[in-house]
Amino acid sequence: MRRANEANMETKDRTIVHMDMDTFFVSVERLLNSKLEGKPVIVGGTSDRGVVAGCSYEARQFGVSSAMPMKMALNLCSDAVVIRGDMEQYSKFSRMVTEIISEAAPVYEKTSIDEHYIDITGMDRFFGSMKWAHELRQRITKETGLPVSLGLSVNKTVSKIATGEAKPNGELQVEHPQIMQFLGPLSIRKIPMLGLKTYKLLRSMGVVNIRTLSGIPPEMMERLLGKNGIDIWRKANGIDFTPVKPYTEQKSVSTEHTFERDSIDVVRMRELIGIMTDKIAFRIRKQGKLAGCVTVKIRYSDFDTHTLQRTIPYTSFDHLLRKTALELFDRLYRRRMLIRLIGVRLSHLVNGTQQLDLFDDTPEMVNLYQTLDRIRRHYGSKAVQRATALSPAKPEAKTMKKNLA
Amino acid sequence: MKFILSSHVLLKSLQAVSGVLSSNNTLPILDDFLFEVGEDSLKITASDLETTMSITTELTMSEEPGVVAVPARLLLETLKTLPDIPVTFNINSNNFAIEILAGEGKYKMSGHNGEEFPETPSIEQGNSLSINSVILAEAISKTVFATGNDELRPVMSGVLLELSDERVSFVATDAHKLVRYSRLDVKSDVTTSIILPTKPLNQLKNILMQNDTEVKIEYSEKNAFFSFGNIHLICKLIPGKYPNYTAVIPTENPNKLHIERLPLLTAIKRVSIFANQSTNQIRFTITGKQLELSAEDIDYSNEAHERLNCNFEGEDMEIGFNSKFLQEMLNNTDADEIIIEMSQSNRAGLIIPVEDGNKDEDILMLIMPVILNN
Repeated sequence: MRRANEANMETKDRTIVHMDMDTFFVSVERLLNSKLEGKPVIVGGTSDRGVVAGCSYEARQFGVSSAMPMKMALNLCSDAVVIRGDMEQYSKFSRMVTEIISEAAPVYEKTSIDEHYIDITGMDRFFGSMKWAHELRQRITKETGLPVSLGLSVNKTVSKIATGEAKPNGELQVEHPQIMQFLGPLSIRKIPMLGLKTYKLLRSMGVVNIRTLSGIPPEMMERLLGKNGIDIWRKANGIDFTPVKPYTEQKSVSTEHTFERDSIDVVRMRELIGIMTDKIAFRIRKQGKLAGCVTVKIRYSDFDTHTLQRTIPYTSFDHLLRKTALELFDRLYRRRMLIRLIGVRLSHLVNGTQQLDLFDDTPEMVNLYQTLDRIRRHYGSKAVQRATALSPAKPEAKTMKKNLA
Repeated sequence: MKFILSSHVLLKSLQAVSGVLSSNNTLPILDDFLFEVGEDSLKITASDLETTMSITTELTMSEEPGVVAVPARLLLETLKTLPDIPVTFNINSNNFAIEILAGEGKYKMSGHNGEEFPETPSIEQGNSLSINSVILAEAISKTVFATGNDELRPVMSGVLLELSDERVSFVATDAHKLVRYSRLDVKSDVTTSIILPTKPLNQLKNILMQNDTEVKIEYSEKNAFFSFGNIHLICKLIPGKYPNYTAVIPTENPNKLHIERLPLLTAIKRVSIFANQSTNQIRFTITGKQLELSAEDIDYSNEAHERLNCNFEGEDMEIGFNSKFLQEMLNNTDADEIIIEMSQSNRAGLIIPVEDGNKDEDILMLIMPVILNN
């Protein structure tokens, strides 16, 4: 008990905000298409084995929940609008939210695409904590158009549970003396990271709400559930020592090109993929980084979007990344249909420089890369380019190529 | 079919060949050992189609010679738990039911028709060469680590064996590092080269270490055969053309760094702890008689610098390497002192052990640098 008291002393003084976007995927889709407002919407895989990634509150009324097989979801709610979803879009909005938070918050942690923890300990000396959090929440909604809920308390667990209670589009503060009063009557299901199995086990023992769970001696919890038991017991008592770990951006660089008119010109598209790859490859070289994964994306004119990625040995050389990107594109473009958008992304970025290859990388080529990059650094990224990047391939150019061949 | 032999003798024989067994076989019968029971001997074979290995052992007693395939895992696990006692195998030649009697125990399992076991390639018209097992084991362990695993360059997943009337060389490279281990005391009448896959080599290495004997290597277009004592190993060669590695060995290296191996190795180990853990890059800055090693991991603000005394001929230079490769190389020689020969910071560096004793051994190691940001 002494340890628990000590912990309370330490954690009592922290102020942690938990922010969670409401039905994030659906909200983004609604932002892009206002016709979805008020309708049951399900985002997720549309194939037979697809699962629900997110659903609107209207769909939840029918019993639909995330991670449910799509087939089951459609049985429950056959009128739902099903959307395949576009991770690229969601990531974009997620980054926008993170950016707003990073501007305001001293220390924040991004735990998923739509969830952030913010440690604002000590800031109440200058602003009221709740007032600060409230203003941040309003700013996010105002700047991105997305609804968000927040919880504010002394640690991550209680803040997260508070957010859950505040949803949708609400906020809730639980101050230290009220923690047990707040947690007590809630179902033990509300405890983060308490899985279905543990829930069933505890329910079978007659433990329904958090108050009962918090009263079980921790030694008994340990015997019952091992080390995890202590963890759950702590959470049930509103104790959580875990710090807010500063978030580091999941590093990737990407570029996209939307055609003015949907295109089927594969030759030009392959050229563009090459040019786009060169562009972002130079960007990572400039930052002294290497990429370990290449992703290519195409969107057909009916908005059907496909991506394909491949992990590769770390590199930042144009010719290696280009080769991979083009191979992915060739495998991806299957539908013989007009294309609206193509994109290339480099991810798994690490700090480092190119490991040279004994057989492929001649000193001449390495010198060429270094010289080209030096020129680009001095005179801008467009100072030296491949000829294909200068103008769209004109019919004459094509015939010339043929003649040469 | 019936035979009796000691459980330990059988277990040792099985373990000698069991390394060949693969866990994801296309043919179910390859999960079995092939037992060829003779008048007074037993030949045990394991195969994964690429590599086939067999060992012959003596029997205490044998009745009705024949062949049968025996489930490998089941047999191995049973034998591991037995003390050294005689084991009797009773095999029904019609349905291949196997009954094993050991001490007070009686164990039954169903075997398979040995005729279904893939046929071992026979020794065709080929050349041969003889090499001492200790030398071969040494050559394998000094090269096999440098092989690559790039699916697009399958030849580099093997070890090149170059034969000539002057020397025999083992070469391995993954395009970032290269090792050539040559023996001047082993010669071949024919000048040729073959590419051996690593799995059988690793398998051989373990067994060769244990005995000092002559190994007969025979090879044809497609296969290589290793035989010594009571063991035979047959493996498919990797088809294709090995890259012309001699062309990439820099010949003019005006910059020569003489340094003690162990202090350098331990310094690299320490400094690389502070390097980015995905790229393991480490920088050599050589000025006059001093070598400075440095590494940094920007993400965590980790940084290390360490100075070492060295002997250096040439112009001051900076060069970057993957520290993992360097450590592998430096661990691969016993020499007290090494010379690192370099030309430019974007060309391969040569690591040459300054050897004292063995004049018949010639090791050359090559490591490709990483580009340095200025």
